[in-house]
Amino acid sequence: MNGPGEKYWRSLEELAESPDFADVVEREAPRFRHPSSGYDRRRFLQLMAASIALGGLTGCGSEANLRQLLPYVEQPPGIVPGRSRYYATATTLNGYATGVLIAHQMGRPVKVEGNPDHPASRGAASAIMQASILSLYDPQRAQSIVGAGQVETWQGLLTALHEKRSIFETNHGEGLALLTGAVTSPSLAAQIADLQKQFPAMRWRQWEPLAAEDQSAALQQAFGRPVETTFNLDAADVIFAIESDLISAAPGWLSYARQFAARRRPAESGGAMSRVYAIESAPTLIGAKADHRLALRPAEIDAAVRIVAATIGAGPQEWAEIEIGNAAWFKAAAEDLARHKGRALVHAGREQPREIHLLAAAINAALGAFGATISAIEPVVASPAPSLQSLRELVDAMKAGRIDTLVMLDTNPVYAAPADFEFAEALRRVKFSACLSLYADETATASTWRAPLAHEYETWSDARAFDGTITIQQPQVRQLYGGHSAHEILAALQGDTQPESYVLLRDYWRARAQQENRGEFEQFWRESLRVGVIANSAAATVSAPTQVNLAASVGAPARKTSAIELLFRPDEAVWDGRLADNAWLLETPRAFTRLTWDNAALIAPATARRLDVVEGDMLEITAGAGKLKAPAFVLPGHAPDCVTLPLGFGRRAGGLSVGQGFDAYRLRAAATPWVAAATSVAKTGERVPLATVQGHDRVAGRDLIREGALADFQKHPDFLRQKPTEESLYPSYDYPGAAWAMAIDLNSCIGCQACVVACQAENNVPIVGKDQVLDRRIMHWLRIDRYYSGSADAPDVAFEPMPCMHCENAPCEVVCPVHATVHDHEGLNLMVYNRCVGTRFCSNNCPYKVRRFNFFGYSDRTDRPPESWNPEVSVRGRGVMEKCTYCIQRIRAAEIDADRDNRKLRDGDVVTACQQSCPTQAIVFGDRNDRASAVAKRKASPLDYTLLDELNTRPRTSYAAMIRNPNPSIPSDAT
Amino acid sequence: MTLATDDPGALPIVRPGVTLTSLSETVSGRLLSRRPPLWWWIGFGFASMLLLVLIVAVVNLFVAGIGIWGVNIPVAWGLAIAEYVWWIALASGGTIISALFYLTRSPWRAATNRIAETMLLSAAACAGLMPILHLGRPGLFYWLFPYSTVMGVWPQVRSPLWWDFTCLLCYILMSIMYYYVGLAPDLATVRDVAKGRARRMFYGVLALGWRGSARHWRKHQTVYGIMSAIMAPMVVSVHSVVGLDFAAGLTPGWHSTQFPPYFFFGAVISGTALVAMLTILVRWGYGLEGVITDYHINALGKLVLLGSVMLAYAYLFEAWGPIYGANVADRTEFASRIFGFTAPAYWGKVALNIVVPQALWFPAVRRSKPALFVISGGIIVGMWLERYIIVVSSLHRNYMPSYWGDYYPTVWDWAILAGSIGLFLTLFFALLRIVPIVAMSEVREIIAKDGAP
Repeated sequence: MNGPGEKYWRSLEELAESPDFADVVEREAPRFRHPSSGYDRRRFLQLMAASIALGGLTGCGSEANLRQLLPYVEQPPGIVPGRSRYYATATTLNGYATGVLIAHQMGRPVKVEGNPDHPASRGAASAIMQASILSLYDPQRAQSIVGAGQVETWQGLLTALHEKRSIFETNHGEGLALLTGAVTSPSLAAQIADLQKQFPAMRWRQWEPLAAEDQSAALQQAFGRPVETTFNLDAADVIFAIESDLISAAPGWLSYARQFAARRRPAESGGAMSRVYAIESAPTLIGAKADHRLALRPAEIDAAVRIVAATIGAGPQEWAEIEIGNAAWFKAAAEDLARHKGRALVHAGREQPREIHLLAAAINAALGAFGATISAIEPVVASPAPSLQSLRELVDAMKAGRIDTLVMLDTNPVYAAPADFEFAEALRRVKFSACLSLYADETATASTWRAPLAHEYETWSDARAFDGTITIQQPQVRQLYGGHSAHEILAALQGDTQPESYVLLRDYWRARAQQENRGEFEQFWRESLRVGVIANSAAATVSAPTQVNLAASVGAPARKTSAIELLFRPDEAVWDGRLADNAWLLETPRAFTRLTWDNAALIAPATARRLDVVEGDMLEITAGAGKLKAPAFVLPGHAPDCVTLPLGFGRRAGGLSVGQGFDAYRLRAAATPWVAAATSVAKTGERVPLATVQGHDRVAGRDLIREGALADFQKHPDFLRQKPTEESLYPSYDYPGAAWAMAIDLNSCIGCQACVVACQAENNVPIVGKDQVLDRRIMHWLRIDRYYSGSADAPDVAFEPMPCMHCENAPCEVVCPVHATVHDHEGLNLMVYNRCVGTRFCSNNCPYKVRRFNFFGYSDRTDRPPESWNPEVSVRGRGVMEKCTYCIQRIRAAEIDADRDNRKLRDGDVVTACQQSCPTQAIVFGDRNDRASAVAKRKASPLDYTLLDELNTRPRTSYAAMIRNPNPSIPSDAT
Repeated sequence: MTLATDDPGALPIVRPGVTLTSLSETVSGRLLSRRPPLWWWIGFGFASMLLLVLIVAVVNLFVAGIGIWGVNIPVAWGLAIAEYVWWIALASGGTIISALFYLTRSPWRAATNRIAETMLLSAAACAGLMPILHLGRPGLFYWLFPYSTVMGVWPQVRSPLWWDFTCLLCYILMSIMYYYVGLAPDLATVRDVAKGRARRMFYGVLALGWRGSARHWRKHQTVYGIMSAIMAPMVVSVHSVVGLDFAAGLTPGWHSTQFPPYFFFGAVISGTALVAMLTILVRWGYGLEGVITDYHINALGKLVLLGSVMLAYAYLFEAWGPIYGANVADRTEFASRIFGFTAPAYWGKVALNIVVPQALWFPAVRRSKPALFVISGGIIVGMWLERYIIVVSSLHRNYMPSYWGDYYPTVWDWAILAGSIGLFLTLFFALLRIVPIVAMSEVREIIAKDGAP
């Protein structure tokens, strides 16, 4: 790998070595992106050859002038086949940015990695971030501009917008509306503000289907002004999680997960460990990691939080007397919180009602959490904040015919707006509607104009992270499918006839850098691009809440209902549906259900028994006027008498997403965005197959998950250790050089699936499709097994990542008749694809079942463009076996680098894709023979163990046992 | 081992009235008649249609890939491997009857060994096909040969699949030679009685100039004896090695020391059962009641019974391992085998292979051709179930609960099964028209020895 200083965007600096190039870029770059506007081809190619600097831009070209291909006559410096160059940018979800480094091979972006310098990433990259590279290349993305049913040109759209503009210039923007998702981009917000100034009557609405509106409202009430919160889990000894998405979906969750896990490694911290309580209706990742967890219905959560508030003294004392089961549990948890004032926090997920968020704020205030474990900061999202209310006003105006022109930027209200808004109906009343979207989705196809949105990796923009840190997003590749950015549409409305994101962004930042005294602009610009963050751009913190007695504003306890409640929740992978066209995400098994390609109505085992349904039984669910059919999925640990309906499926237009799963938005009304009472839930008698990837939910008596309590660990650190089986008739091999090994900490693994997709991206793992998943042929080299223990109603959950174990006595090797899987001198179990004839005996003989077989030519069957595959890894053909290689290509690259520098490999030179992406650093890889290496240290831990030890396979992958830290005053059977 | 009858007088090996000439005329005459009988046409037609199914299934397999079958991860082996074991065990009947009983000088072997060996070759062809079809890249099966490549890569001798490949290849080659050596005198007989130049040429070339001289006979007997002495242990080793394909694996249910003898027991019962069925059919079709008598039927029935008893022992031992052993994986696998996913197949095989054949203890059942035919047919089905369970059950409840999974054969799996039966029957029916189906030279010996008229 490169040294840290070499990794990032450095080409502009290199180019600056030629004295006049800075001028060239400054003067010519806008036209460079549109060479037709001035250059002749010869001049253009000269510039290209001289400036591979804009390496990302050279990879692909759709411009007419690029028809002739020329080979490199001289190898441009820095571009070496087989070596990645990294360019920093950011990817956003719900507006919030996470910094990424994109690995380029020969000018093509092939892999997303976390940016270690970015606060929301810290080097980790979630499954969603990893998968963004696949969306970039997705040939099903929208590719053409359509206006009034005709294929149009960009110029045609600009003309149409300019015509509209001339009308608005006279009426101050009356009848003009702009609908966007959450905007954190300072430059975009500035453009909108400017537009608002030009057209005071323009309506700008921000709306996100899954915005944390109740949370924002509660915080606003607590602080008397809009604020957002960030968390410092490093300092949190006790965490009380109320269906919290703190380590699964909250903005900044990757960094929270890292802090969270760092406090839960007793073997490294001398026995210290945080304690986590979780109450939730639908299982969350933090609930799975909690030391105490209760599955509660929404009304019970309300009661529980009130008891906690009362016990701590943050609410009226009569709440402590609320009649509810497990009251002792809640009080014990509250006392534990109270004992850790200033080192505790309560977090409620976005799905909780405003009362819960108010109570949480009250408890946090009472615990002294603000300023210690929680920081309130200036809002990151541009104001006015996104809200359902603002969308409602817009829809009312549309229905009333007061909107003449509606511009929608990267938002899909026809699909995701509350069903009772009837957005599609309202949209029909709008004469001129323009939608800029990545796919020809529901809204785009219902608008009078639609244009393809440039992917985030194709255009210039900026965005803010959860803590306000700004990243300038730089394009990684020329627009593959002719997309345009929101900046350009807004600029056109502002009156720009040749809108260019690059120019707009530079102009904005030139002005702002001057205003903020950031010194010489070019230097600031390059440095910001190179590092991927703008220095010191985090949002300012806000002092503690002004209003103390929050509990007073909370109404009476929620009524218990006997009806079955419907819980609307984001899908773990496809989120609100915007990612539902991404094949990797569709095929990523969800942490708990292990379900792919579909969503399902999740119900508790007790409820399933009551309704007499089993997995795959079709349910008919009615709520109010809405009705839908959804297959049932029985989920242990789910709250009884609730049905979780994951959103984001059942798409009706777009790409791959169309027809997958059911659309839960159809039951989601504006008044009940997260919880709704079902009118009826009934079995229809139909059955549908659900593509889950886990065969059996429990360890079935095998020693796969070792688990213990912290108290026992403190007494005897090796209390879980068993005598390893070492006997063998044969002498063991010698590994005089490196001995590659991996250690996985089960306590740290939160089941987020980032490693699964990272592995898929790095190693060219093909997707197989729902039918093939049903046939049990999923290809993921790395999977995260999920095991339950204890009762089905309140199980303990364990996540266990399963890469290849790289056994020293590998059972797969001896049974291959043709030497297709062999051992190397460093202990790697290699797979020689070319030699494989496909007997599949190796897979049968693998006790860990980590081998994958190409039953069909899966790689040939995808419509993924060839240039998007990682050229460092062979793409496997039909009929051969494959499996985890410990990222051998990265090992070799590191060895070559070390060799070139005439030094030995250092610990940390080789980082596997799974290890790199892991937000909690659960995975450590390195040379076991190097006693000082991180992996050797992990393996020396008393908690270290290997799977199926009795088979004497001697795996190189080992695990650190799970330790929970239960509160001794809560009896274990109540957890 | 002798198979003396309960009442030697009651069951003659050759019916009175069969003479040296009548034997030749019956056997060669059927072979040389210009118009095959109707039953042959029906049988051959049916077989060829099934063969067509095989051709379609194989072409589709090669074009679309192994994914058209039901195999998956964890159950990466499916019907193809089950059928490989099934066919090779059926084939073994030929060797057991002809080599083992040649060495024991059992006189009743003479009339049935040609049927048995014809069956052997037909079944071995099916068996040999299966592992190749089952490969992910079937075109590269020859990489299992120890041939010198540019890369200097040799097969991996530690793999049971390579032992199996070697054993199977030797077994099939030996069986063909053994068959042909035994055929030579009979081919000469056919040559001698054949009318028409073409036929005489055909059989003349095949007979390799056999003149029936004492010198020929001496050499023939020596070679045949030596080959029998090789074939008899070979059939044991072939099935032991097929058993090792599984036993050398690590999976619960396969990793068992009993597999080599278990597989040989299975070979004995299924091989003799198929010989019994075909003997009854050929006897009826060719009107060979004179040379294939109740004595033979009785002897085959006893053999089938012996196989059933041996197999019962293996079944008990198969259950004993998981019950006595402390391995939780073995126990869950066995529990699923007998109570879970494969339970219908398990109890089916116990009924068909163990329970029903016990009726053969009764001489009346044993000698009843319909009864023996039906019981033998049941065993063939039962043995298929057994192979299916061995392959699937162990894989579907493996060490890793998260990767437990079931296996459902697809229509193409069944097409391969049906097609392989078609291949077997086509070959068998074709050989019925080409080779003398009774070893005339050997039966003549018995007729001469017994002093029959």
